[in-house]
Amino acid sequence: MSNRIPYSKVNEDVLRPLFKPTPGYLALLFTAIGFMLFGGYCWSLQLEYGLGVGGYNPPVMWGVYITTFVFWVGIGHAGTLISAILFLVRSRWRTGVYRASEAMTIFAVMTAGLFPILHAGRCWYAWWLFPYPNQRELWPNFKSPLVWDVFAISTYLTVSAVFFYVGLIPDFAAVRDKWRGTIGKIYNGLALGFRGTDRQWHHYMAAYGFFAAFATPLVVSVHSVVSWDFAVAQTAGWHSTIFPPYFVAGAIFSGCAMVITLLVPMTKIFKWENYINIWHFEHLAKLCLLTGSIVTYAYGIELFIAYYSDYIYEWGIFYYRPTGDYAWVFWMMFSCNCVIPLVWWFKKVRTSLAGLFIISIFINIGMWFERFNFIASSLAHMHDPGAWTYYTPSWIEVGILCGSFGWFFMWFLLFLQVGPAVAIAEIKESVRPPLRSDEEAA
Amino acid sequence: MSRVKGVFAHLDSLVDAIDALKQAGVSDLQVAAPLPRHEIAELIYEGRPSPVRWWTMIGAITGGIGGFSLASLSSTVWPMAIPGGKPIVSVPPFMVITFECTVLLGALATLLGLLYHCRLPAVGMDEELTDPRFMNDHFGILVKGEESAKVCKILHDNGAVEVVGGA
Repeated sequence: MSNRIPYSKVNEDVLRPLFKPTPGYLALLFTAIGFMLFGGYCWSLQLEYGLGVGGYNPPVMWGVYITTFVFWVGIGHAGTLISAILFLVRSRWRTGVYRASEAMTIFAVMTAGLFPILHAGRCWYAWWLFPYPNQRELWPNFKSPLVWDVFAISTYLTVSAVFFYVGLIPDFAAVRDKWRGTIGKIYNGLALGFRGTDRQWHHYMAAYGFFAAFATPLVVSVHSVVSWDFAVAQTAGWHSTIFPPYFVAGAIFSGCAMVITLLVPMTKIFKWENYINIWHFEHLAKLCLLTGSIVTYAYGIELFIAYYSDYIYEWGIFYYRPTGDYAWVFWMMFSCNCVIPLVWWFKKVRTSLAGLFIISIFINIGMWFERFNFIASSLAHMHDPGAWTYYTPSWIEVGILCGSFGWFFMWFLLFLQVGPAVAIAEIKESVRPPLRSDEEAA
Repeated sequence: MSRVKGVFAHLDSLVDAIDALKQAGVSDLQVAAPLPRHEIAELIYEGRPSPVRWWTMIGAITGGIGGFSLASLSSTVWPMAIPGGKPIVSVPPFMVITFECTVLLGALATLLGLLYHCRLPAVGMDEELTDPRFMNDHFGILVKGEESAKVCKILHDNGAVEVVGGA
């Protein structure tokens, strides 16, 4: 990023695409809405006929919905890593990409939050998941990882949304000052009348640091808690202490890949090369290489521990995954997560937009299959051979999976039209301020 | 009461002006800027950290105690021996709830502290500070209740591109 961009140009460049939907944008938006509506239709069928149409038959009672839940929660993690952890360590490359990554986090966690509700079947009782005072004094079992998950995801969504909104306040104020009239009034409300006074900035920066400090442990804790949904169970292939770090690394791996998938086209369409460019993408690709290596190592260690445990059920499931009914899933996962991203070790590939975009899509696909691999295969092939089965997703589940992508992209595309997707105030912090001494020297 | 607004196009001019005003004994001044700058904060808030941190700490402690209490007290309402040999009040699993509630209430209390100390939503803000240039590429100073001629001179001398107001 150039260090000599005038402040006014930052405002102009970032605010230019707002409220100007192009035909291409509208086509994408309506496609996303179409997918979402199709997912909604599939859900309505499930509500009418029951979870059986969602492919749920014993012993496989967790399928595509839980797979997709874990996938979307994982996607969210990269946004928090970029916005919080990289803020605390003062990483310069975060500035251009963090706002869009944070937006991705919010919409991904919103999407993930739908799946436990879908999975529960009778979604109108979903509020039973939360503790509330009641006449019978019934409370959730706080020793259950499923209740930890409710707390972890709710906290994550709330804290991420607050962090995201607080970051947007100064930029909403910039939108207000560009557009007067009704838009100006709406954005003045969203900015809470923020004017950038010394008092406001002083407390704002202190609070922002605390939000980052709170969000940082959430990056590690949320996916650890999600992993305990599996690891605390006795199911072979799940009951492993390696799950928390393995899940966290996988989450960051898939999340960074999704950031690349979203930002490469966005940067080209909005002509934001001054703010988001190859330098940023290369850092994201390196982060993917690091976390992808951890994920590959975890696959190997899992396999070794299964062998070394000398526990036939554990070894049986790990033998079954690459050689049994789900071998295609396993090898899809392995090639997309462990082999294909290796081409990013070549600088030429990781500094080419096409190379970044294509590989990132493979990682997204591979990480969805990773979750499907361990969820479906372990349940379909549990301890009792008489109960073994082969589970494949029903078209209702596939429809809801597609609907979730529609829902996610609809929110993301709407945000691109109404909110500054690059952080104006922080970009200004990273460029050289206007100085009289510079002008005099020139 | 006199009110003087100075508009600056350069950060170093603004910092010089704040310094000169403070040297001249001006205490009631407000600065507007499109971004947070440590030069401004150091001149105005030297040695005075934001009290938002107390909100954060109190929120986090309340959340932690509340989370652990919720999990342990609700477990003692129906003191059934859960298979697996865990005690009724099991500290390790309850730490997850404690941690989540610490973070949740700490963050929400920080938000309340931020809104309170920043006076947000800002109602009845000084009109001079609502200049749209201050969220774009200019800086501003508003001085109230001082001898306007003296303030105007300081602002002009330090490179203000515009000085408005007076007695």
